[in-house]
Amino acid sequence: MRLIKRTYIYTSLWMLPIILIGSIFSFLMIEYVSYEEIDEFLTYEMERLVEYHEENNDLPEFHQVARIIEDVKYEKPFFKDTLLLEPGDNEMVPYRELWFSINHNGRDFTLVIQHLMLGRDDIAQGALLIISGIVLLILLFAFLSVNRVTGKIWTPFYDTLHKITRFKISEPPPEFTNSDIDEFNALNSSLSELLKKIKKDYQHNKEFNENASHELQTHLAVIKSNAGKLLDNSGGDEKRTETASKIYSAATQLSQVQKSLLLLSKINNREFSDNIELNLEDLMKQVLELFAETITLRQIKLSANTKPSTVFMDKGLAEILINNLIKNAVKHNIENGYISINLSPQKLEIKNSGEPYAGNPEHLLQRFSKGKTGISGIGLAIVKEICDLYNFEIQYDIKNSTHKITIHFSK
Amino acid sequence: MKLLIVEDNLKLLDTIKETLESEKFLCEAAANYETAHEKIFLYTYDALIVDINLPDGTGLDLIRKMKQQNSTTGIIVISARNSLNNKIEGLDLGADDYITKPFDMAELVARVKALLRRRNFSGNDIITHNKITVNTVNRSAAAGNQQLDLTKSEYDILLFFLSNPGRVLTRESIAEHIWGDNMDLADSFDFIYSHIKNLRKKITAAGVDNPLKAVYGVGYKLEKTTT
Repeated sequence: MRLIKRTYIYTSLWMLPIILIGSIFSFLMIEYVSYEEIDEFLTYEMERLVEYHEENNDLPEFHQVARIIEDVKYEKPFFKDTLLLEPGDNEMVPYRELWFSINHNGRDFTLVIQHLMLGRDDIAQGALLIISGIVLLILLFAFLSVNRVTGKIWTPFYDTLHKITRFKISEPPPEFTNSDIDEFNALNSSLSELLKKIKKDYQHNKEFNENASHELQTHLAVIKSNAGKLLDNSGGDEKRTETASKIYSAATQLSQVQKSLLLLSKINNREFSDNIELNLEDLMKQVLELFAETITLRQIKLSANTKPSTVFMDKGLAEILINNLIKNAVKHNIENGYISINLSPQKLEIKNSGEPYAGNPEHLLQRFSKGKTGISGIGLAIVKEICDLYNFEIQYDIKNSTHKITIHFSK
Repeated sequence: MKLLIVEDNLKLLDTIKETLESEKFLCEAAANYETAHEKIFLYTYDALIVDINLPDGTGLDLIRKMKQQNSTTGIIVISARNSLNNKIEGLDLGADDYITKPFDMAELVARVKALLRRRNFSGNDIITHNKITVNTVNRSAAAGNQQLDLTKSEYDILLFFLSNPGRVLTRESIAEHIWGDNMDLADSFDFIYSHIKNLRKKITAAGVDNPLKAVYGVGYKLEKTTT
């Protein structure tokens, strides 16, 4: 949800208590004012009547006296609320009454004058309407103005956001536009620092990898070639041959491990970004051709059902992906086993016979997971890493002695 | 055949030089860009074996210079950086082959011989060892007077042996020779074993003594002399 939308929603929610409290307050205010006004009016009316009576010893022809009660005297005038039936709509309506006494020719009379009051429900309704109306108006104008202002104020923020989402580690960090808002400037400079640091770490990592690769492989080449020479010149001495062969094998394996780790590190570093549209079907055919002899040699039954499947990825990585999967299916197969491949635009499924595996198959996707013959390879870990890079979903299922790897391509 | 080897690691340089000299090649060595550059200007070579990473320059420049100087020289690039870019750049500049460290000497020898065969128009397409003959043009092999019907891998293995007579070929180096990086070496030994077994069967079936001797626990060797 966008920032501005959420702001609107929260602001609107906060307006609800304001409407409630405001309405109660307005209700009380209006009620108070209306009492004041009616009481004032009735008092004036009383004074007018008293004055008229004193002058003319009679009541005016047109007067508002509702009732005259004879021979009753109150020392002081008083107000009273009452309900009267309004014949028009047959409803009880509230009235304010003022009771006061006068002396007419030696007899006491109590006069009652009345005035219609505002109904409490009417006041409540009115108060609610007024406040809601005002709040709505305020919200409307607030939204309009915020909308206008946000566009302006948040521009640098969205600019920064746009730049960091497009940032690629292999490219120089972006220059952020300076803004006159302190918070955004602080954000931009923190981001700049962070990106520079990331970039530097990335560079160091890359250099370290390259150096490690170069130096290690050169010295391994020396070890390997000299061990090879010892093998050639051992003169049939079994002990010496064995020793030289151990050195040779260890150097070879070390070099393999190092190459694999380097590859993993490079994938992690996203150093492969030459993404192109490529057809996995063609690639699958090439790889199967490469393994054809081995598959025949082990008398593995191969059934491949492939359809053109286009993915957008680095060609080298795609090769490694398919290669490692097929290699795995061949390597961990059994004599007279089978491999069944299903490739469609949505997914790649490779099923093969193999040894039963008791543990969680997902473990086999981790690097250097322990296999039956000690540490098993790193090939599937690389497959997993590549899948992660391209957001492909990889699944490893084992049922009895059937191993199944499924890769769902994200579309 | 005169070769120039450019490699900054002196121990490796020595080993490469010794190995290639034992194959009766005339070898000159250079440990840095400067020396190599000078030699390229002064002499003519049949092949240049060059490391990309040199302390005072890049091997890629040497390839350029060599191409200007003498375009018929065959070039093999060695690099520890297993990066595709280097490989493509090297081959674009006119290098003929590319080999990554750490390589087997047997592999290097095979590559150098293959390169010189291709470069040499006088053509030495037929390699003979004892009674076994391989024709590298039409990729055929014969034992005695009989043609051998070999699979692709069997042919590659046989040629690899014939390029390295008398040298122990480890199972690892044979695997790498056939599959490159595509096979985890340790797992491919039984495949190598099957291939060699079939190859031996086909050779002996043609009435020729088995020339591929097992070196126990290590690999195989093509006997140098007739037994």
